[in-house]
Amino acid sequence: MYQSKLRIITNHLILILGSAFMIAPVWIALASSTHTREYLFQNGLQMWFGGHFLENYGAILFDPAATKGRVTALEMLFNSMVLGLGFAIGKVVISMMAAYAIVYFRFKLAVPLFWVIFATLLLPLEVRIVPSYEVVSSLGLLNTYTGLILPLIASATGTFFFRQFYRSVPDELLEAARLDGAGPLRFFVDILVPLSVTMIAAIFIIMFVVGWNQYLWPLLMTTDDQLYTIVIGIKQVYNSLYEGGQIPQFPKAFALTIMATIPPVLVVVIFQRMFIKGLVETEK
Amino acid sequence: MKRVQFGHSPVPYLFVAPQILIILIFFLWPAGQAVYQSFLLEDAFGLSSQFVWFRNFEDVLSSDSWAKSAVFTIVFSFIVAFLSIAISLFLAVRADEIIRGAKSYKTLLMWGYAIAPPVAGLLGSMLFNPLMGDLYILLNSMGFEFNHIQNGNDAAFVVILIAVWKQISVNFIFFLSGLQGIPKSVTEAATLDCKSAERRFWTITFPLLAPTTFFLMVINLTYAFFETFGIIDVSTKGSPGGTTATLVYKVYVDGFLGADMGSSAAQSVILMFMVSILTIFQFRFIERKVHY
Amino acid sequence: MFRKTLMAAAALLAMAHSAHAQTEITWWHAMDGALGGVVDQIAEDFNASQSEYKVIAINKGGYEDTMTAGIAAFRAKNQPHIIQIFDAGAATIINAKGAVFPVEDLLNKHGVGFDINDYIPGVRYFYADSDDKMIGMPFNSSTPLLYFNKDAFAKAGITAAPKTWQEFEAIAPKLKEAGYEGFAHSHGPWIFFENFMSRHNLQMATANNGYDSTDAKLLYNNDELKAHWQKMKEWKDAGYHGYYGRAWGANQDAFLQQKVAMWIGSSGSFGGLRQSAQFDFGTSTLPYWEGVGEAPKSTFIGGGSLFAFAGHKDEEYAGVAKFFEFLTKPETQFYWHKETGYVPITNAAYELAKKEGYYKESPDAEIGIQQLSEEGGDWTKGYRLGFYVQIREVIYREIDRMMNGEATIDQAFDTIESEGNDLLVRFHDTYK
Repeated sequence: MYQSKLRIITNHLILILGSAFMIAPVWIALASSTHTREYLFQNGLQMWFGGHFLENYGAILFDPAATKGRVTALEMLFNSMVLGLGFAIGKVVISMMAAYAIVYFRFKLAVPLFWVIFATLLLPLEVRIVPSYEVVSSLGLLNTYTGLILPLIASATGTFFFRQFYRSVPDELLEAARLDGAGPLRFFVDILVPLSVTMIAAIFIIMFVVGWNQYLWPLLMTTDDQLYTIVIGIKQVYNSLYEGGQIPQFPKAFALTIMATIPPVLVVVIFQRMFIKGLVETEK
Repeated sequence: MKRVQFGHSPVPYLFVAPQILIILIFFLWPAGQAVYQSFLLEDAFGLSSQFVWFRNFEDVLSSDSWAKSAVFTIVFSFIVAFLSIAISLFLAVRADEIIRGAKSYKTLLMWGYAIAPPVAGLLGSMLFNPLMGDLYILLNSMGFEFNHIQNGNDAAFVVILIAVWKQISVNFIFFLSGLQGIPKSVTEAATLDCKSAERRFWTITFPLLAPTTFFLMVINLTYAFFETFGIIDVSTKGSPGGTTATLVYKVYVDGFLGADMGSSAAQSVILMFMVSILTIFQFRFIERKVHY
Repeated sequence: MFRKTLMAAAALLAMAHSAHAQTEITWWHAMDGALGGVVDQIAEDFNASQSEYKVIAINKGGYEDTMTAGIAAFRAKNQPHIIQIFDAGAATIINAKGAVFPVEDLLNKHGVGFDINDYIPGVRYFYADSDDKMIGMPFNSSTPLLYFNKDAFAKAGITAAPKTWQEFEAIAPKLKEAGYEGFAHSHGPWIFFENFMSRHNLQMATANNGYDSTDAKLLYNNDELKAHWQKMKEWKDAGYHGYYGRAWGANQDAFLQQKVAMWIGSSGSFGGLRQSAQFDFGTSTLPYWEGVGEAPKSTFIGGGSLFAFAGHKDEEYAGVAKFFEFLTKPETQFYWHKETGYVPITNAAYELAKKEGYYKESPDAEIGIQQLSEEGGDWTKGYRLGFYVQIREVIYREIDRMMNGEATIDQAFDTIESEGNDLLVRFHDTYK
């Protein structure tokens, strides 16, 4: 394909600018997180590293006092990991099963159940959060990972992803399987699941990121700070930037920000191909 | 539906059971609670309540601040959707043409998908901090009298910028895949027919991307409606003067911070109507697309 | 099978353990940063002082977050024993009948004893009901103070902080000359609405500032308050007043970074400022308008109070009572006062601070309590208004609009009156 020199150069320029636009804020946060708070307060945000990397990150990771309270960032990272993984695994398993039933079976309640599942897309957790809290509490699930994760799984996005995917699976497969005498269970376990591996991986990655990034629900439902996730930790540190009479803890806030960002970004970048495939295949 | 299906058996019930159970307990029950509450005047602690029919809805719909917030939400959502789609489409077209380094650019532009909205909000609010924020200082030194603390339009600019920044990655991924899905023969024929890259884009590429664009429009509107909550909560908190409070943020502020359960529930129900329209619209469109 | 046995054994062990364990008292509070550290210290000291009870202090974010979490938890019957509620939220919890165990009854019932006259006059009735029974224990009580940068004053050739706004108008041009904006303020609704009324002894709302009934109307739309905001706008336009938006910290930071020469904030910020200011600063009382109302009268307290949620066991309330007793001990109060700048809430604690010579070494620390001990009037006791959190939101919003010129003073006050009263009507209908 013919391309003029000029066009190639402008293409690169535009993409470099675009990338810089995406990266700059995080870069500034990273650089600023390695200075002392006094320095930042007097000299503003920094574009280059200072000498306090180990000190700032060390304090955040291991000293509970630095993250105000009883939990260190390390523990928060662990909680985020549990939330991300639990959410992703739960969502994948449950929605794979539900989608299988809806696509591959003719049964009486199929239509009403489909609409029940569809309805969950209409009302995000943000707008039903107090009643959700009451429900979780009356089940005795406050301050448990189960209580944290299950209400988030109630939204059926994953089911639609798998439904979409199963429908693209050729009918001939099922016909062949039936000729071989495979029942519904064997067809699911031996044929459909292996066939969905890429799909599962992709949805898993997407859901891990979504779970990791949850904000309002963990904020409200974890009354015990032992369960704080790192995103909640940021909100807490950010709050204290503007209360109390001290020099704001900008470096700490930035360090937490960086630590909250690295794991999901790594997952997305490393499993890029699978992730993109999943996102593009499923969301349409 | 599939042409070939299993016949009657208890298996499907077992398979949907976990999903339905979770939905019953953690969705229908609380959602029903929210609808019921929207007809009540109830004290914050749930100790006394009266059934008041549509009083809460009347109070919400007749309040100036709700109307203002509704207008802001709609304008905000369309601007965010339009800008993030336009910017990422532009970048994707260029990235599609690139041969050398295509992979690196792709990575550099798509990683932002993983950023949490409150994290984006925090980064943005730091950059616009009046005392030390680089962007704030830059804009003012360029001669703009930029002050998002007091000026509603400037504050809206900040929130929109953060929201767009956070959303570019997703759109970029879709557009790039869409572009790469266009058969080589089509692009080559187009190059022969039409030398101007710009005309080629508008007459051939863009129509081919129209379904993707339309789909992204819906996705982006939903995003701007709901997911920007985290951004607003850590950047402007709706200030100045409530000019940057979206409807979802208002539900949160009035209901949960203000302890007015009935009003908040009524606002939720109204929102539910608005979203269901959007979702049904999206769903019908997807269904049609799948059929051909 | 083996796993089951193991689990049963673990459960047994846990039970055996809890039989001997201390009774745990949970306390949700909104104190973070340096203040949170002091709170943790107090809880730790209490736990070390006895072995029956263990107070677990948990920060739930800011004031609003804490109240939201408390409400959600109460509705779910999972409430903590003690919750810190801020001034604006007091009406919500006090008017919800059956939500709290009034602190006066609690202390009397559990043999700790209670005499409202032990408390300093300024805090005595703020969290009391209309019969003067104390419902919430005034915990972190602050009052608006003026902080001034001594270096800036020296540069501008000013010797004393302005006592009145008239005095301020006289020195503002000098400060501007020296390169400073005159002053910034945090929390406009608290300082220049609520406390303006108290300082000048003006009535803030009908029905005895809302204490007598939830059927109350705001009285903010008056000439005195409007004249003040007219001035605020003029000062801002003239560069005498720096307005850094509604965020508390942004205005305080402007003072720390020496952009403004004075900052009007909370006495509770004193401890933190002392750690972070890179210059010498002093404190002074909240300025008033000479000749307006009956100024100077004492100010309201701000901050928060501790409520004991209803619905717990007697032995737990005994622990709460013990802890409240510990909190009000002169030594605890003095420590709290010294570390944070919040005022000591009992006379005995104030006396102790005086006796220890604390105010000799740092006279600035006494300004707040002196201001609260100034002569009171009919309208300096406090206020009790429903949905006041939202009313403050309206006020914040209208301050923004007055300051950026989007609304005239008259328009802004009309909006505050009408929207505020709509909220009060809703509250009255909900809680009647």
